[in-house]
Amino acid sequence: MLTEGGPTSGGRGIEVAGVRRAFGDVLAVDDISLTARPGEVTALIGPNGSGKTTLLLMLASLLVPDRGTVRIDGHDPVTAPAEVRARIGWMPDGFGTWDALTVREVLETIAAAYRIPAPQARERAEALLHTVHLADLADRRARVLSRGQKQRLGLARALVNDPSVLLLDEPASGLDPRSRIELRDILRSLAAEGRTVLVSSHILTELQEVADRAVIVARGRSIETQQLDGEAVTTALASWRIDSLDPLRLTEFLTSRHVPAQQVHGGMVEVEVAGEENAARLLTDLIGAGVRVTAFTPTRGALESAYLAATEDRQ
Amino acid sequence: MSWHGISTVARLELRQRARASKWVVVLAIWFAVIALVSVLSYLALNDPDARSGAAMYDVVIFFVLGLGMLVVPSLTATSINGDREHGVLATLQTTLLTSADLVLGKLLAAWAISGAFLVTALPFLAWAWVEGGVSVGRILLAVVVLLLVLAVVCALGLMFSTLTARPVASAVLTYLALGALVFGTVIGFGLSAFLVNKEETVRVYGIPNDFFDQNEPTYDANGNFVPGAERVPTKADCVEHDETRNVTHTERIWWMLPLNPFVVVADAAPSEPPANPDQGMGFTPMRWISEGSRAARVGETTELRQECWVDGPAGQQPVDPNAAAAKDAAVWPFGLVFLLLAGGGATAVAERRLRTPIRRLPNGTRIA
Ligand SMILES: Nc1ncnc2c1ncn2[C@@H]1O[C@H](COP(=O)(O)OP(=O)(O)O)[C@@H](O)[C@H]1O
Ligand SMILES: [Mg+2]
Repeated sequence: MLTEGGPTSGGRGIEVAGVRRAFGDVLAVDDISLTARPGEVTALIGPNGSGKTTLLLMLASLLVPDRGTVRIDGHDPVTAPAEVRARIGWMPDGFGTWDALTVREVLETIAAAYRIPAPQARERAEALLHTVHLADLADRRARVLSRGQKQRLGLARALVNDPSVLLLDEPASGLDPRSRIELRDILRSLAAEGRTVLVSSHILTELQEVADRAVIVARGRSIETQQLDGEAVTTALASWRIDSLDPLRLTEFLTSRHVPAQQVHGGMVEVEVAGEENAARLLTDLIGAGVRVTAFTPTRGALESAYLAATEDRQ
Repeated sequence: MSWHGISTVARLELRQRARASKWVVVLAIWFAVIALVSVLSYLALNDPDARSGAAMYDVVIFFVLGLGMLVVPSLTATSINGDREHGVLATLQTTLLTSADLVLGKLLAAWAISGAFLVTALPFLAWAWVEGGVSVGRILLAVVVLLLVLAVVCALGLMFSTLTARPVASAVLTYLALGALVFGTVIGFGLSAFLVNKEETVRVYGIPNDFFDQNEPTYDANGNFVPGAERVPTKADCVEHDETRNVTHTERIWWMLPLNPFVVVADAAPSEPPANPDQGMGFTPMRWISEGSRAARVGETTELRQECWVDGPAGQQPVDPNAAAAKDAAVWPFGLVFLLLAGGGATAVAERRLRTPIRRLPNGTRIA
């Protein structure tokens, strides 16, 4: 559906080491290192202004890093931009489009810019329009699309050259819930085809289900990389919210077990537990101790906890 | 850089222009304005004694050039920073298009559009030709030079649109640059004429000034002029002598004139002078400009000046050697070479400014 034979093999994904970039006296990216592997969806998560867009510009061969190295499938965007461009699909954050062209013409123009012959370009545009569910708008002016539809056109545009590395800057912003789920499926299938997918977002939950790995950035620095596979979820520290008919006994029990707990609104208690195994054991023990538990739910995932921890100290 | 890349960009630009602006309306207005000017100049200058074709030709060519210099910058002067503002430049820069593809493609598209404006004026040039007084060769040469000048204007606009972040700023800079070429050169020439103006002793062959002192007209006691008593100078009275005169060395400053696109076009293809001078000169600004700037290039002679302006045998009138020299002292090749170099340089600057990845970003611009 998305491929014309899959990305060329031998892709090494994205390797970024110690990258820095300033605009005048604004330090947009201070020190970011990350690796995004082929076949995986890597999330780039950070609050507004943390340097995600700037980093993606450097990956997309538009901006020279002041320091550090970038490799896209082993090629340096600074010294070998043409090789890099042939391999990447870049979807800018909030992009514009040519006012006067129709949706289909936008894709065909981009295809021509990639030197794809016209007959193939037409086929490619048609297939991509179906992928992003814009086929019925194909002959409308791109200008009249809604924000969410423009985002989908942007994604289609990034896929025109059948890239092996995808750089998507906030692709989910402006999408309705249904389109979000579709985006997730598209990203998963792109990764399943062996492509490297790097997606940025400032909204965590957007990426939690789709990403294999998350890189958290704050104030231009990569804080940490979280594995988001099953094992990580079962061992990472997460908070759980407990509601009970015996709030007093619940707190007594938790204090006696030295479980760090925190009262939240509605008489509920929030605890931090490392891994699902321990959470399950805590629940069993609570019930064994006769505490009448009515709710035991994770409040935020491992990633969210890490994200909040990383960005806690921001002004 | 490849032809495929250039034509991709050019097609995109043309498609955008053709749909975004009321393209047909603009061309129709342009056509109507030229038609109006041609008809008016025909009516005003239609002199049965002179060949009005030459006058119409001059008016139409200058009008196309003047209006072209107003319209053409709007095609390119906002082209690149405008695209950047719309967020469509970076998208193209991450494809296999090179910066040269982008610049040359945009240039080609803008040039094609200015060519279209020129083509609309062709019927009126044909009309001028029918009226007589100007040859097809002249018209073709003028059209070619006009096309080249308009290409240079396109390139200048394109360069400024890569130099500033705001489209308004680059449009203003482009018009200022064109203003400098059109008015600045003339003003510069006029002002520096004072600098090269000196009192000098020149050698003249003619009637010496003291001839008239020695041959004062005679008056009778009542102060009435007595005809026949004074001596009328004849050729025999012409002698070689020194005189102190104001000499303007325009040959030192003439080079400012051909920097002006109007001078280039005028001097490249002025209408031919009438075969019979008695037919009247008519309104031929191109020829006036051409003759004026050629004379400026030759300057005043340092040799003996033939000024024996007295009636002699027919056909014996002295010829100013400089007037003859000026006929061959074309200035437009210099101007055209200068303009083409400027256009080439502007294109090169634009190409450099579009290279990615970018090291230094102009203040206050975001790539995406
Ligand atoms: N071209 C630029 N000139 C000056 N400052 C910039 C420029 N681009 C980004 N910045 C600044 O760099 C910081 C990071 O921006 P950005 O990479 O867009 O963040 P994010 O995409 O994570 O929201 C911000 O503080 C922003 O104001
Ligand atoms: Mg951003």
